[in-house]
Amino acid sequence: MQNQAPEISLAIAQFVRVLRLSGVRVSVAETMDAYRALAWIDLLDRRQVRAALQALLIKNPSDRPVFDRAFDLFFLSGEAKEELFARWRRQKEAEEQKLAAAGQELAQLFQPWEDYIPEKYRLTRENLQTFTRLPAREQKRLKELIAQMRGNPVNNPGELVARVVQAALNYWRYYLLKREAEEKEVSSPEDLFPVSADFYRDPGEQILYADLQNIQDEQLPKMTALIRRLSARLARRLSRRYRQSRRSRAIDFRRTIRQNIRFGGTPLELRYRGRRPKRPRLVLICDVSASMARYSRFVLQFIYGLNSAGQKIESFVFSEDLERVTPCFERRRDFAATMTDLMNESRQWGQTTNFYLALETFRREYKKLIAPDAVFIIVSDTRTVCWEQAAGLLGEMARKVRDVIWLNPVPAAGWSGLPAAAFRKCAQMYECYSLYHLEKIFRKKIPG
Amino acid sequence: MLDLSIPELHKALEREGYICDLEQAVTIYLALKLGKPLLVEGAPGVGKTEVGKVLSRVLQTGLIRLQCYEGLDENKALYEWNYQRQLLKIQVLKETGCAAVDETSLFGPEYLLERPLLKAIRADRRVVLLIDECDKVDEPFEAFLFELLSDFQVSIPELGTLTARQIPVVVLTSNGERELSDGLRRRCVYLYLDYPGVEKEVRILQARVPEAGEKLIRQIALVTGYLRSQAELKKRPSIAESLDWARALVALNAHCLTEENLHFTLNMLLKNQEDQDLVRSKIGLAALLNSCRENETGPQEAGRREACRAAGGCRRA
Ligand SMILES: Nc1ncnc2c1ncn2[C@@H]1O[C@H](COP(=O)(O)OP(=O)(O)OP(=O)(O)O)[C@@H](O)[C@H]1O
Ligand SMILES: [Mg+2]
Repeated sequence: MQNQAPEISLAIAQFVRVLRLSGVRVSVAETMDAYRALAWIDLLDRRQVRAALQALLIKNPSDRPVFDRAFDLFFLSGEAKEELFARWRRQKEAEEQKLAAAGQELAQLFQPWEDYIPEKYRLTRENLQTFTRLPAREQKRLKELIAQMRGNPVNNPGELVARVVQAALNYWRYYLLKREAEEKEVSSPEDLFPVSADFYRDPGEQILYADLQNIQDEQLPKMTALIRRLSARLARRLSRRYRQSRRSRAIDFRRTIRQNIRFGGTPLELRYRGRRPKRPRLVLICDVSASMARYSRFVLQFIYGLNSAGQKIESFVFSEDLERVTPCFERRRDFAATMTDLMNESRQWGQTTNFYLALETFRREYKKLIAPDAVFIIVSDTRTVCWEQAAGLLGEMARKVRDVIWLNPVPAAGWSGLPAAAFRKCAQMYECYSLYHLEKIFRKKIPG
Repeated sequence: MLDLSIPELHKALEREGYICDLEQAVTIYLALKLGKPLLVEGAPGVGKTEVGKVLSRVLQTGLIRLQCYEGLDENKALYEWNYQRQLLKIQVLKETGCAAVDETSLFGPEYLLERPLLKAIRADRRVVLLIDECDKVDEPFEAFLFELLSDFQVSIPELGTLTARQIPVVVLTSNGERELSDGLRRRCVYLYLDYPGVEKEVRILQARVPEAGEKLIRQIALVTGYLRSQAELKKRPSIAESLDWARALVALNAHCLTEENLHFTLNMLLKNQEDQDLVRSKIGLAALLNSCRENETGPQEAGRREACRAAGGCRRA
């Protein structure tokens, strides 16, 4: 049984690598099991091979779509693989062409001020890349903006225009970062073929993994249904963990008997079963400033779902300052109404961000919540004014509570350009830009 | 013990009334051949428990079932000392004037109450051990299970170590109410059961409720599949429910679906009042009926099923 052809072990090793690159966790032991399993099946029957690998490598239903696509791709014929690469190369070339064209186009627009633009405001390749990836509508808007600046009697219009354009492009880059992060993995053909989890996923499941910033309005009903289902299931799981702790202490008969043998069996000393840990108090502090508004909507929807399924979470929103929104959740109405309340009643929605001020307010007015049984969940992209002070204050608070968990909608690859590092000193920060992340973090990382 | 080939096992499973695809048969087969526990997950009522039961029939061996619940502990799952009998014995010894009670005499096999796990370990034959709904247990007990499944031996302080004579065939089922540990998952062969497609459901219905007749069975499968694709439902109907529904219709002596018998039996298919209301008010019984009628004929059916699949409704089984 063990003397299988070496190609098979190589193929399995490579296939497992593909799965891992796509975010599926596969252990060495499981890889060995898969290898052993292949000895028992008909290797010429594709269905059997597929079933065997799936049964031994994929232990979570959410990984199944990834497996399906990976399997189909991996066990492609040589020509099919060639075709895939050719397509990938063509895509790359097309992209380069677009880049060149965009460069020319913008250069023309800037031409009247060509000589006045200082070196540091000249568009970089990165800016151009961002520009080519913008939706056509946004491209047009930017171009119009530049055109309008002509004949603007400012001192040095060239510099002003270039700065505005660059700022706009930087802003956009932040939203497009994820795609770039993916492309890094795609960039080398040695990887056998482009690997990225989204690439494999079933369109029907995409929404679970989709970036919350990019959810279109027509997808909202589907999102709402999905969030409701996820949060209800999660709440059920979470409540199980601690339900037992409410029971009174139970006598452990076995240990009692053993303890009392020396008294001739009369149970003089009782023994009890161990107590369970106390349930932590969850406190959500959610950024709803302009850059976060769309995203936070879904997070709050999720929290609302948890709340209505019986998980109590103290909730606050902030942008320029902080506000408590827990009462909105407790009114026990449906989500649309709750959301409208939140938007109407909160003055924070869509403002700029001052996390420091928000924390100050929190410390002043909700002091009681800063307690050893509290777990803080902070939702923010870390873009805030006064971030140094904010980080300092959060650090102080972190020492007094059980845990601080930070959900960041910016993919980890983009954290270096943000004050994220300062906050990571006192909080566990996780990238969290899809429902998939959100659910997983709540399930695995958040106690209670 | 298992001398069957994969196709033979597949046939044997179906002969015993368990309808499955080749893929499921391969998975079960590998669990047996590799001697690993089979972890079966999926929504409620899709046939998880049945896997364990049918395996014991196919293998013609005993089924030992451990039904898990919250708070299940080793006393209920593994063994327990017969406390009353021990007390009785102590009492007797006292009355007969014995000064000191000899501990060892109180922890002999005759005071041991075997629970399912110990029974499976001490069985003479290789039995099927069905650990049903293992997501219901608490984490410490899961850790204990994990260890037990690794070496199939337990040490009872008073008796020493007991080792399995025959490693049982272990089937674990879970509704995913609590996430099982990665360690446990890694140790198992994994079988995920999805809701069946229309064709498979037809075959299951034929195997379980043949008296319903071909036409009615087809309609039942179509309507059930259609309802499963409706995202707003709180709880999607499972196989257990489509079977119940079929039986109810047979009891009404129905040969095909009508708005009337649909009206009277909908509560068999949708157990949740809100879902029933939703179907009655939003979708409408007539529309429900129509959708399944259109579906019955030729290419339209395929098209519709495609559409339903694209909507994430009935995925491949
Ligand atoms: N593939 C199948 N072939 C034949 N009968 C099936 C099949 N799947 C399920 N059934 C029948 O459906 C019913 C429900 O199955 P079962 O009790 O095994 O579901 P379950 O997944 O264990 O449900 P629960 O999560 O509620 O425990 C049973 O009567 C079973 O016999
Ligand atoms: Mg069951």
